[in-house]
Amino acid sequence: MTPPHRAPTISGRITRMNLLVSGSVLILAVLAFFSYDMLSFRQSLITNLRSEAQIIGANSVSALMFDDPSSAAATLQGLNRSPDVISAVLTKQDGSVFATYGPPDETDLTAKHVLPPNENEHHWLNGRRLLLAHRIMFEGSPQGVVYISARLTEIGQRARHYLVIAGLILLFCMLAALLISAFSRRLIAQPIASLAETARSISREHDYSVRATESSDSVEMSVLTQAFNEMLQQIQQSEAALRQSRDELEQRVEERTAELSAANRELEAFSYTVAHDLRGPLDSIAGIGYLLSNTSTPLDQNSREMLHRLQDSTKNMATLIDDLLNFARASTTPVRRDRADLSDMAQKIAADLQRSDPTRQVDFQIAALPPIEADAALVRIALDNLLRNAWKYTSHHARACIEFGAKLLDGRTVYFVRDDGAGFDASRVGEIFQPFHRLHSKAQFAGTGVGLATVQRILARHGGEIWAEGAVEKGATFYFTFPPASSSS
Amino acid sequence: MLTARIHFVARIRALSAVLLFSSVLPASAVNPNAANQPSESDVEAVYLFDFGKFVRWPAAADQGVLRICVAGSQTFAAALQKTVANENIGGRPLDVRLMMHPADEAGCAILFIESTEHAHVDELLQAVATRPTLTVSDMPDFLSRGGMIQFQVVEKHVRFSVDLNAVNRAHLTMSSELLKVALSVKGRLQEGGAQ
Repeated sequence: MTPPHRAPTISGRITRMNLLVSGSVLILAVLAFFSYDMLSFRQSLITNLRSEAQIIGANSVSALMFDDPSSAAATLQGLNRSPDVISAVLTKQDGSVFATYGPPDETDLTAKHVLPPNENEHHWLNGRRLLLAHRIMFEGSPQGVVYISARLTEIGQRARHYLVIAGLILLFCMLAALLISAFSRRLIAQPIASLAETARSISREHDYSVRATESSDSVEMSVLTQAFNEMLQQIQQSEAALRQSRDELEQRVEERTAELSAANRELEAFSYTVAHDLRGPLDSIAGIGYLLSNTSTPLDQNSREMLHRLQDSTKNMATLIDDLLNFARASTTPVRRDRADLSDMAQKIAADLQRSDPTRQVDFQIAALPPIEADAALVRIALDNLLRNAWKYTSHHARACIEFGAKLLDGRTVYFVRDDGAGFDASRVGEIFQPFHRLHSKAQFAGTGVGLATVQRILARHGGEIWAEGAVEKGATFYFTFPPASSSS
Repeated sequence: MLTARIHFVARIRALSAVLLFSSVLPASAVNPNAANQPSESDVEAVYLFDFGKFVRWPAAADQGVLRICVAGSQTFAAALQKTVANENIGGRPLDVRLMMHPADEAGCAILFIESTEHAHVDELLQAVATRPTLTVSDMPDFLSRGGMIQFQVVEKHVRFSVDLNAVNRAHLTMSSELLKVALSVKGRLQEGGAQ
């Protein structure tokens, strides 16, 4: 978020821009003024020399005409009042020198420059000298030529003056540019920098209630600040709306959950009550059936048959009610933490099962496992369901093996109950723990479809997990775990 | 292409040659004896003509043909005639007349008396005394005789002296420019006569 170190600042740019603009304008202006001045100065010098030449010419006409070089020299001597004029030469019409003025080494003016016969005036500029030639006319006829040479030192002097003045102004401009940029820093860069600082602090603190202070320095800045503040306000509003709707949603979920669990509890209480209340009449029916089958009065074949079916149905219903009661209890009773010796429980259940049908040849392999901390009553129901399941689904096999054990998987203890019975269709494994869902028909294996659902409920209430593996006629394995933290302590 | 360029260059050269020639021509025409030293009388003839440019005649006499009369030799008159041919002074055409007799003075704006006419000087000056006639001569005592301009040869240069009193008497006005180059000037410039 921090800007790169070498990035130029706005005020620096403004300073440089000011310097560039003022400097180039000044240089151009000085050049323009200088060249104009030089031009006009040269022009005025030429004009001055021309009038000098005209005066000299007019005053030396008679001298030329009547061959009086001394008079011409006297006239030329008048040039000494012009300090710029170095030398002058008066030539006759045939080009011969008639009179001279100035130091001898400066009077060879006609050596290099001669006024062309078809011109009446001409000037030459060479280095530090301006040479002007003027033809002397009298009564329409030429009488001679006057050459005047002037020094141009003043032009150099002027150039130096210009240079000094331009330098001074440039210095002044730089100072002015620095002042202006210091001023503009306050005017332009400062509000932008403070706005940038505000934006940075907001993005760091996530505090959208901060507002940038509005500056009245420029329209653009105040528009920018206003837009920034409006944006902040919108963010703040949308954030508040978001928070509110999230809170509302949470509250609604809580309410719904509470409602749902209340309804669930009511339903469970209701089903428990129903199951419990059904138990009484069913016991009566079973009792009456027992009395009927043991009366001294012999029953005919048909009646005996019907009585037998009644007793079967009664037993089935009793099992169903027991399962339902277990299921309800697994859901509602609070989980207590005490010692549960799973191996001992499994041994007892296995013994019970073998006692119920001694004809079956089932090999129980029960590992000796350390006791765990869990609700013993509930764990017993779960283990009973699993072993009874295994017992049931191996009933079609002449010999069977049912195994209970544990192994370490990814650092946690996984218990398992394995059989080599009918197994199940692995693709339908998801349905296996749902209440009243059965993978086998009632004709194949008797059952209520509540057992595995009860087991899952019990493990869930302990904070554990259960899953199953299996294949048709390849047996089934049920794995389950208890949370390690609670079990170790 | 090459031949065309050569042709062009040749033409340029021819043209510049013509220009050079034509530019040289007037200079030599104005001063025909630039090469060899002009004779004294040639210079005097030119000066005589040039004096006319520095002298103003009274209004009545300042019109028509400006006549220069020569009292002297036919040779000088011819030389003067040659000098002033096709010239004019202030728009006045020039005319040279050889005087045979002092009575011929009528209409002479300038009268030149050659030193050979020494004997007739007084007579001639007397004849033009009341006329606006500029009198010039190369005889040594001309000014003392009442003449206006007198030629003198100084170091092989033809110079002249002026008697302004005589000029003033004739109601002529002489430019100070002329007086400036005079060898000597007698008398004073008349009021308003300066140029």
